[in-house]
Amino acid sequence: MSLPSIANPTDCTQSVETIGQALRSHGYIGSDRIATVVYLACHLRKPVLVEGPPGVGKTELARITARMLDLPLIRLQCYEGLDEAKALYEWKYGKQLLYIQMLKEKLDDVLGSASTLRESVERLHRHDDIFFSEDFLEPRPLLKALRETNGSVLLLDEIDKSDEAFESLLLEMLADYQITIPEIGTIKASGRPPVVFLTSNNTREISDALKRRCLHLYIPFPDARLEQQIIEAQVPEIGAELRRQLVDFVQALREMDLRKTPAISETIDWARTLVLLNISALDARWAADTLNVLLKFQDDIDRVEPQLSTLIRRVAGA
Amino acid sequence: MEATLTRFVRALRMANVRVSTAETLDALRVVELVGWGDREQLKHALAAALAKSAYEVDAFETCFERFFRFDTFTADHSIDNATESDTTPASDDAQTGPENPPAVGDGAAGAGGAQANGTGGGAGSESGGPPPDREYDLHALDRSALAKSAVDFDAGSATSPLGRLLLADDQTAIAMAISQAAREHRLEDIKVFTQQGLYTRRIMDSMGRPALIDEMIALDASTDSADRQLGAALRSRHDRLRRQIRDHVEGQFLLHADARGERLRMQMLHNARLGNIPPNNDHLVRRMIERMARQLVAVHSRKRRVTRRGTLDVSRMIRRNMRHDAHMVELAWKSTYRDRPRVFVLCDVSGSVAYYARFMLMFLYSLGEVISEVRSFAFCSALAEVTDLFQRYDLDEASQRTLAAHGQGGTDYAAAFADFEQLALDDVDRRSTVLILGDARNNHGDPRTDLLRKIHDRCQRLIWLNPEPRAAWDSGDSEMGRYAAHCHQVSACGSLAQLERVVSDLLRRVG
Repeated sequence: MSLPSIANPTDCTQSVETIGQALRSHGYIGSDRIATVVYLACHLRKPVLVEGPPGVGKTELARITARMLDLPLIRLQCYEGLDEAKALYEWKYGKQLLYIQMLKEKLDDVLGSASTLRESVERLHRHDDIFFSEDFLEPRPLLKALRETNGSVLLLDEIDKSDEAFESLLLEMLADYQITIPEIGTIKASGRPPVVFLTSNNTREISDALKRRCLHLYIPFPDARLEQQIIEAQVPEIGAELRRQLVDFVQALREMDLRKTPAISETIDWARTLVLLNISALDARWAADTLNVLLKFQDDIDRVEPQLSTLIRRVAGA
Repeated sequence: MEATLTRFVRALRMANVRVSTAETLDALRVVELVGWGDREQLKHALAAALAKSAYEVDAFETCFERFFRFDTFTADHSIDNATESDTTPASDDAQTGPENPPAVGDGAAGAGGAQANGTGGGAGSESGGPPPDREYDLHALDRSALAKSAVDFDAGSATSPLGRLLLADDQTAIAMAISQAAREHRLEDIKVFTQQGLYTRRIMDSMGRPALIDEMIALDASTDSADRQLGAALRSRHDRLRRQIRDHVEGQFLLHADARGERLRMQMLHNARLGNIPPNNDHLVRRMIERMARQLVAVHSRKRRVTRRGTLDVSRMIRRNMRHDAHMVELAWKSTYRDRPRVFVLCDVSGSVAYYARFMLMFLYSLGEVISEVRSFAFCSALAEVTDLFQRYDLDEASQRTLAAHGQGGTDYAAAFADFEQLALDDVDRRSTVLILGDARNNHGDPRTDLLRKIHDRCQRLIWLNPEPRAAWDSGDSEMGRYAAHCHQVSACGSLAQLERVVSDLLRRVG
């Protein structure tokens, strides 16, 4: 434990409960498991791999954690073909060329008196690798996160979209919070290491090596009670009765065999829609008209529509 | 504490959760951080450190519930023995933090504390939470009755050590003694159900049962009524202790041996000929096949970018080197992506291969759940596409419908190939793989190898999997030899192990 712990003992990371409360006060309503994992991540300095269906608030968790800890959020969106030049660092080639041009005369001075080629080279050697120093280094998200002295929250979004090679690249960063740049050497986290979140939609299996270095958090769809709380926090304008109906309705939809199950983000959108339309109680007509907010495939809408009135009746009666 | 955690990790591994040493160390740090005090929090925290996929989280939770059990023990203990427990020199297992010692004990202490007031068998299995009220009440009655009678005998009145322990009625001490004896006898190595009695007995014996029995016999024979009463009290406690140990043994059996036994069975099934697997193992085979499909896909689903050495991508290189003033500093190579194979599977579902067909369909189904590009066909004489059926229904329903719709009549490969040509041959291209599952027994009809040749010429690979052993090929009405000439690869595929090898090979090579 040579590196300082991220947590500052007076702030909200003191215990799992305080983290849960802090998350809640920033509008993120989650299960106890989420709070526990954030607590562990802050204290153990271990990255968190967050998995779960799309739209359950994986990215949001990182964003809110950053706000809660009052740290900058550094985000790296992963995609196929992402490489170290875009994730770690890049040399500022333009600046290097420009400096060479501008320093040409200076170079002449340095080399002017040299008589042989060998002598010139030796003289140049005395000046180190000026052009491959940190001044010419363009930090990309990972390096930037390491250089934040007060710590940061690093979000590697949709890690499953990146290549396997990129995953291997991450290992050094995630295990030791350091990056090796061949021309310069190893750069370590300059202050507090970042809190790292990796999110995955499971389009492919993440390698075991990476999983081993992470804490794992699976966020499933929330149960009705939790979802009601989320809606209450996100759309406070909505009435209690409508909120209950709406959540029950969405929960019933999740039971059905659909191509794309509505997630929390869709529930929130729908709640906002209903508030906007000034609806006080769910009825089949309005539900049919706004179903496209919840369901993103025509197949799904076609499948749900015939059962709509039954569903609504069940929800209203409950 | 470490010992408890290591044993928990061992139980997890038995339940097919892969836990590395590094993760065990993580778990230790996690426990240091959250402590043993709050059970739910401990569960969440350990899950984060140990279970690394949604599938493993499920397994973890079952295992956790079995291992760390809440029992009447706590209630009991806090009422009656609170003072004693704080001063009891605890064994390493009971050292779970002074503020709340046995609330989350390890499996041993927890299960040992499960008071055996007639809860018998079921108690050991699933119940993770506090037991229902009824049991608790019974137990309370039981205890108060005992407590009354115990007034007459203080611990010193029994001569044997076990008798004294029982009369002292210190549940913590008893539970600890049980778990210690269990460890001495390596209870976690229990393998089969029938060993439970043996282990129970051994544990009792090493706790000092023989001396207790002698004492009870002596007391029973005594003429003094007080002695006889003492004997009766000892006997009832002895019985209770036996139930308690039995419970503990059963809990440990479920935790360790059940999973191991299943692995053993799976191993056997893995290598057994498919036709010999009795139908009552269906659910097990199905789980195996699902796991196999999942593993295969996990291994092969990563797209690999293969650099084609020596081929420069000129346009990309010029673009990339613009920033170097168009000096060609960085080179760009052409690369190719391996893409997912498109697979067509033709499955013979006639009577002669009915046994195999069931497994083949199972495998097909599992594979179809993870790879989208599988089109499945079933045939007997006429061939029909069943992809849709598989997508729409669950496995049992889909297999039944397939067999009902297409499983009648004698096999006619010629007709099946002709149908395939009409239905899907146009979609077969040089990237596709065609897989035929069948015994090639054509009922002496015209084999029509020319049709098979057509498929062969269009696709990238044509693979024939025959459930019969090689020795049986070409015997009777089998046309395997003639068909084999028109296939890229022919394999005998009689067991799950063979099936796995073939499919793994298929996924690797295609692309």
